[in-house]
Amino acid sequence: MNRSRQLNRVGAASLARWIVITALLAAAGLCYVYLSLQLHRLGDQKKSLETELAGLRTQDDVANVQIAALTSRSALQRRLKEGYLKMIPIAEQNIVRLAPIRPAPEEDAIRPVANDQVGR
Amino acid sequence: MRWNGRTRCALVCIGFVLLFSAFSFRLVYLQLVKHEEYAGLAAEKHVYKQPIYAERGAITDANGEVLAHNVPVEIVVADTSHLNRERVAEAVALLSRDLKIDTDELWEKLGSDRHYIVLKRDVPESAADALQAKLREQNLRGVYFEHDAARLYPNGSMLCHVIGFTDFEHKGIQGVEASMDEYLRGQDGYRYIEHNRAGQEIVLYRGQERASRDGYQVRLSVDLNLQNIVENEIDAAMHEYSPERATIILMRPQTGEILAMANRPNFDLNQRSTARPEQMKNRAVIDMMEPGSTFKIVTAAAALNEKKVRPDTTIYCEKGIWNYGGRTLHDHRPYGELSVQDILVKSSNIGAAKLAISLGDQKFYEYIRRFGFGERTGVELPGEINGMIRPPQNWSKISITRIPMGHEVAVTPLQMTVAMATIANGGKLITPRVVKLITTADGKTISEFSPSLVRRVISEETAKQIGRALRGVVSDRGTAAAAAVPGFIIAGKTGTAQKVDPHGGYEKGKYIVSFTGFLPADHPEFVGLVVLDDAKTSKPELNYGGLVAGPIFARIAEKAARYLDLAPQPDLIKPTAAGRVASTSAPGH
Repeated sequence: MNRSRQLNRVGAASLARWIVITALLAAAGLCYVYLSLQLHRLGDQKKSLETELAGLRTQDDVANVQIAALTSRSALQRRLKEGYLKMIPIAEQNIVRLAPIRPAPEEDAIRPVANDQVGR
Repeated sequence: MRWNGRTRCALVCIGFVLLFSAFSFRLVYLQLVKHEEYAGLAAEKHVYKQPIYAERGAITDANGEVLAHNVPVEIVVADTSHLNRERVAEAVALLSRDLKIDTDELWEKLGSDRHYIVLKRDVPESAADALQAKLREQNLRGVYFEHDAARLYPNGSMLCHVIGFTDFEHKGIQGVEASMDEYLRGQDGYRYIEHNRAGQEIVLYRGQERASRDGYQVRLSVDLNLQNIVENEIDAAMHEYSPERATIILMRPQTGEILAMANRPNFDLNQRSTARPEQMKNRAVIDMMEPGSTFKIVTAAAALNEKKVRPDTTIYCEKGIWNYGGRTLHDHRPYGELSVQDILVKSSNIGAAKLAISLGDQKFYEYIRRFGFGERTGVELPGEINGMIRPPQNWSKISITRIPMGHEVAVTPLQMTVAMATIANGGKLITPRVVKLITTADGKTISEFSPSLVRRVISEETAKQIGRALRGVVSDRGTAAAAAVPGFIIAGKTGTAQKVDPHGGYEKGKYIVSFTGFLPADHPEFVGLVVLDDAKTSKPELNYGGLVAGPIFARIAEKAARYLDLAPQPDLIKPTAAGRVASTSAPGH
């Protein structure tokens, strides 16, 4: 009787070791699954962000195209014809040309750059 | 052997060992020996090489104004195997209405059993989004959308022959789009992806990836402000004279940069599918014409450069009629003694012929070739032709009297402009350029096209002498008084050539009139050429280069000078008598 009790006794230390090992393995497995799922989720997030970015780029491109179309030479000419814009030719006497810079006789001398005709 | 329990146990164990050994061998065989093969087969099923498309580069003018760029669009495609056969009528009705496609065409397309049918290309994003929402709402399957980009030209027909266009695969097939395709196209990238059974990408298993490189931007030398001036004037000329064809070119003589180039007929780059072939030709580089008297600059320059004559050397012009080689050569007026300068000013055919004779066939031919005639100029425009210059051994007895006045030769308008630029820049033949710069999208320079000197054709002194003579052409003594611009001295030469009949000989009453000149004569900022093919004037005697092309040049030059802020000379601002003379006096030649 005593002999059989001795034979079937489970060592507490051994059991605890196996429990710990099993728990660690289970935790590692769960971590693996969790991290895998996280990676998938982040991948999906990345994909949706990429899609969003592509959408924004598309919108930007479309807006740029619209700006180019509205400010193009042909569009401006059409607006000019329709009367939305008005252009007045600049008369020759209203053009101010800066003469080539010549060394001034005095350092502080005033050098005129506009003519009297401007604005008349 | 005794079949006891031990033996049976051993046999079972051996059996298991053999079985598992077989399995192990098979496993090793599959995993190691056949790994590549089966991995490839598996990859084929779920790994997909996804292309990352590069964006085609933009084309801009010299000031960065956009001439060609991309707009995102969608391609609407259908997979008939995914279509619900009972609901095809609904799909046809919806697609026909939204995509504006004929219902019969749609029935035909969707009635087939193909997996990939392109229903419509270049569908705007907004229209595609709306259609997608409707398809979802009506729960219609089998219609899909693919991202694409369409080439858009904001200025429509302006500069159409220079810019060119692309085909539906985004390959340049005309103009700068074709010649600079290598730079504009960019390089597509790719990415290996895996997808699940629903066709969605599993981002986690994304494989090797190579990013795309967008196409470079091409900056032209053309200034859209000058181009606009030229386009307006060519339109006005078409309205006034209804010529069959017209070409105008503006070029900077020192660098060879083409500042403006326009041809008529033209076409809208955004509606190119409706354009006729003759509208698409860039006649500045692919059309040959007899240049007429503008070619006399080559004759006079050659004779002066070879020191056969001086500018003031007088030549007897036979009172307007000269028999040579059994044929009669006429001047439009009976001139006696004319200086070499005056031969250009008065545009004497006989004087020019005698200058060429003084040079001799071979030398004269040599100068023609040195001016760049008979070879491509090298401009970055596809389809440029050589023109036609026959070697002296193929000349007739009278060729030496006809070629000096621009007959029996065929040149392109651009070659003629380059020849005049050679006079304007002091005798150097420069390669004309239409592309100025190639940059990345963020402005980093990849390549810059600097002026390219082909050769020195004539001495600087000779060029100056010709330039001085050409000032006389645009005066009340010359043939192009109407080309004068108040405030500026212009040098130029008129040309009037009878139109060559493709069936032989010349077409009666049809002329190609031209004017080529530069401004300001002392320090030329630009060279211009105006060519009108078969202009219809109110009276036939008004159909001359000086009276038709000259005034067009003057209007362009005046506006261009103002735009380029060239200071006019105050003493030349008031319109001279020349303008009045031009409208009433004898026609220019």
